[in-house]
Amino acid sequence: MIMKNEILAQSIEGLASDFLFLDRKEIDVPAAGNFLNALDGIAVEAEKAAFEEAATVAKALNVLLEKIVLLQIDDSEMAYGALERGITSLQEIVRSYENQGKFDRDIDEPLSLILEACGDDRIRDLMGGGETGRQYREPEEAGTTGEEVKTELAEIEDEGLLRDFITEGLEYISEIEVNILNLEQNPEDKDCINTIFRPFHSIKGVAGFLNLSEIRTLAHSLENLLDKARNDELEVTPSLIDVVLDGADTLKSMISRWKDRLEGKEARPLNTDLPLLAKKIEDVEKGVQETPKPKKLGEILLSDGVISEEVLEASLRTSQETTPKKKIGETLIHEGKASPKQVTQALRKQAEQVSEATTIRIDTRKLDDLIDMVGELVITQSMIQQGLSQQFNADRKLMRTVAQFFRITSELQRISTSLRMMPIKQTFQRMARLARDLGKNAGKQLTVEFEGEETEIDRNMVDEIYNPLVHMIRNSVDHGLESAEERFGAGKPEKGLIRLKAYHRGGNIVIEITDDGKGLNRDKILDKAKKNGMISNTENLTEQDIYRLIFLPGFSTAEKVTEVSGRGVGMDVVRQAIDRLRGKIDIESVPGAGTTFITSFPLTLAIIDGMIVKVGSERYILPTTAIRQALRPVRSSYNSITGKGETINVMGKLLPLVRVYELFDKEPLHRNPWEAIVIVLEGEGRSKCLMVDEIVGKAEVVIKSLGEGLKNIKGISGGAILGDGQIGLIIDPEGLFDLSEGNGGAAL
Amino acid sequence: MDKSMKILIVDDFATMRKVVRNLLKQVGYENIVEAEDGALALRALKSQKIDFIISDWNMPNMNGLELLKAVRADGDLGKTPFLMVTAEALQENVIAAVKAGVSNYIVKPFTAEVLNDKIRKIVEKL
Repeated sequence: MIMKNEILAQSIEGLASDFLFLDRKEIDVPAAGNFLNALDGIAVEAEKAAFEEAATVAKALNVLLEKIVLLQIDDSEMAYGALERGITSLQEIVRSYENQGKFDRDIDEPLSLILEACGDDRIRDLMGGGETGRQYREPEEAGTTGEEVKTELAEIEDEGLLRDFITEGLEYISEIEVNILNLEQNPEDKDCINTIFRPFHSIKGVAGFLNLSEIRTLAHSLENLLDKARNDELEVTPSLIDVVLDGADTLKSMISRWKDRLEGKEARPLNTDLPLLAKKIEDVEKGVQETPKPKKLGEILLSDGVISEEVLEASLRTSQETTPKKKIGETLIHEGKASPKQVTQALRKQAEQVSEATTIRIDTRKLDDLIDMVGELVITQSMIQQGLSQQFNADRKLMRTVAQFFRITSELQRISTSLRMMPIKQTFQRMARLARDLGKNAGKQLTVEFEGEETEIDRNMVDEIYNPLVHMIRNSVDHGLESAEERFGAGKPEKGLIRLKAYHRGGNIVIEITDDGKGLNRDKILDKAKKNGMISNTENLTEQDIYRLIFLPGFSTAEKVTEVSGRGVGMDVVRQAIDRLRGKIDIESVPGAGTTFITSFPLTLAIIDGMIVKVGSERYILPTTAIRQALRPVRSSYNSITGKGETINVMGKLLPLVRVYELFDKEPLHRNPWEAIVIVLEGEGRSKCLMVDEIVGKAEVVIKSLGEGLKNIKGISGGAILGDGQIGLIIDPEGLFDLSEGNGGAAL
Repeated sequence: MDKSMKILIVDDFATMRKVVRNLLKQVGYENIVEAEDGALALRALKSQKIDFIISDWNMPNMNGLELLKAVRADGDLGKTPFLMVTAEALQENVIAAVKAGVSNYIVKPFTAEVLNDKIRKIVEKL
């Protein structure tokens, strides 16, 4: 005890002598820091020694000194006077305890001096209860200092700076957009709030320097909002997220307007009602709910008069205290405050509220059935159309009505297909997150950029493309991007960039994954391919051909790659998955500047883009993605070698000939390849020539399964109803190749 | 006043680093290096001799306060002058920085003169 008091006495004496050297004209910040720390220490020691008065005075001095450091003191002479009085008071208190074991005066006099000097409410609290001094209140949101600091703004008429701000600011906003959606999913995640807070903060800072007051004000109010959310003063509600998104949008247009101005264009009008936005922000900040939240169960029971407010509160408390948290309904029943029937009724009411919303959930199977039936309707429609056109004296009125019916059907088809479409954004966000996590693990810094994230894709495709995309992202982060040091050495920004881009082309969605890393190493790939015996030395390969080698099975040297634990290698897995989805993949790479994987997928798995060919009387549909070319071979290009089979020389390559009619046992029109048509099909790295009688045309067809009994027929992946109502079989290239090599199942 | 001292600007916002760099140039400081966050700043500090640090508070990876603490805890770097850049109204931050031994703080936005003044006063006291 004595020891502690001695330490206390010594630190107070130290404080007193330090005070003499304190620069009163302008506070010396490091000295003030030492002073503050010493006061903290004294407060703790005094509390331990039960010198309550000393602890209180130390805390009050702390507040005063903070105010001095923050330059929030009007009368500094008075402040230093109060500081001095406080220190002598500390000395008196401790001495009195030492000598008499007690301190019987009060400390109102030094405290009121301090209060007078700084006018801080925390001093009043200290004076009021002595004991309550421990709780440190958040300092008031000091609007005053914020405004006062607005000294004359730096004159930076630097256009380059503005340009930088525009680029970087827009990047930051797109980052905000991504992160806020994460926040919506994890509203409690403080890190998540922080990642949104920071960019607003940075934008505000620079906007201040550039005199962009509009941007600064908006960014400032959004930052404030998020700061409160971060400090648990505000709940992250959907309306908070909405208003932040609105704000980000507005900031984006404000910055874009500057961009327009710089480019000499007329600035786009700002389509935001700023006062309204400000009002919205203010409302959220005050916790005003714009749209009433669905009532909580307790509230419903309360308004039904089942329970009283006191009961509800008490039960809420118990249900929160129990671990794991009990639902309020359970607690009420358990405590006998409400009957199970009353609770169920209330629950039902609650459910009804939810269904008032504008969106509903539908089982995707129902949706699939609907789309399927609409597909049938469209086909029936074209059958009617054909039937009518063949009728010589069709009723004109009927014709008109039917035409109207057609229009409705096609609109119906368009709408029903769009039902299953959703923006690729969510997938991108998952990718962005993954990339960042991977980057973190690999110790690489990176930003993820989106382009065209609104591009829509069939819901069913979303899950299918996920795995191949994951592999490519892994590859880009692990093998594409260099470490910060390497990047620095290469004169690149230390942060790597991964760009995800989506757009529609034809009936496909194209997804590009670009990194600005080191690019593919052409020589390394060649070496490896040679070593693995995939190519011989003499082959002349284009850059593209070389890059494509990484997709060949057996190229990766890594151990077996599984869906989950793949280490970013095994690009053949990617290739196979993409093939399965009837997609395509290409690579562009510039050494030192980065690599782009360009993948394209059909928008939906339900419709296939096919070429209709005829063999005898039968029609088959070949997926266009598998077709390399179609030709009528000259007689001399045909070769038949005993034991090796028949081949066609296509541009110098000998490709095996597959006689479709033989495989499916049909009677063909032509038996000589030079009279028939040959279509070069590609599948799983193999290319073969399919011999058919004629090409009927191209069509988009709706894939129908052949039903349980015929599901596993080799070489046929399904059927489709063609425009005239007849059936065509869809060819599965890989299966057909297997069949032609003699390892197939039953032929049709 | 030694205008040749090497100043490290730490801020994750590239434009902000440029702003500070321009302001420093206006008052004659030319020997400037930059870092994107606290962690990178620390690496820079270890690899070259830096005379003065101007750091933002809000950064990913390692924020300004963490950087300050790391610097002050380091035997070799411990005394390096450290000017913290903060936004207005974030008083808790300022106090935390002061307690952690910051040399001084400056509130955004600021002019070249104010910046120069802060630097001068810190260096004079060394």
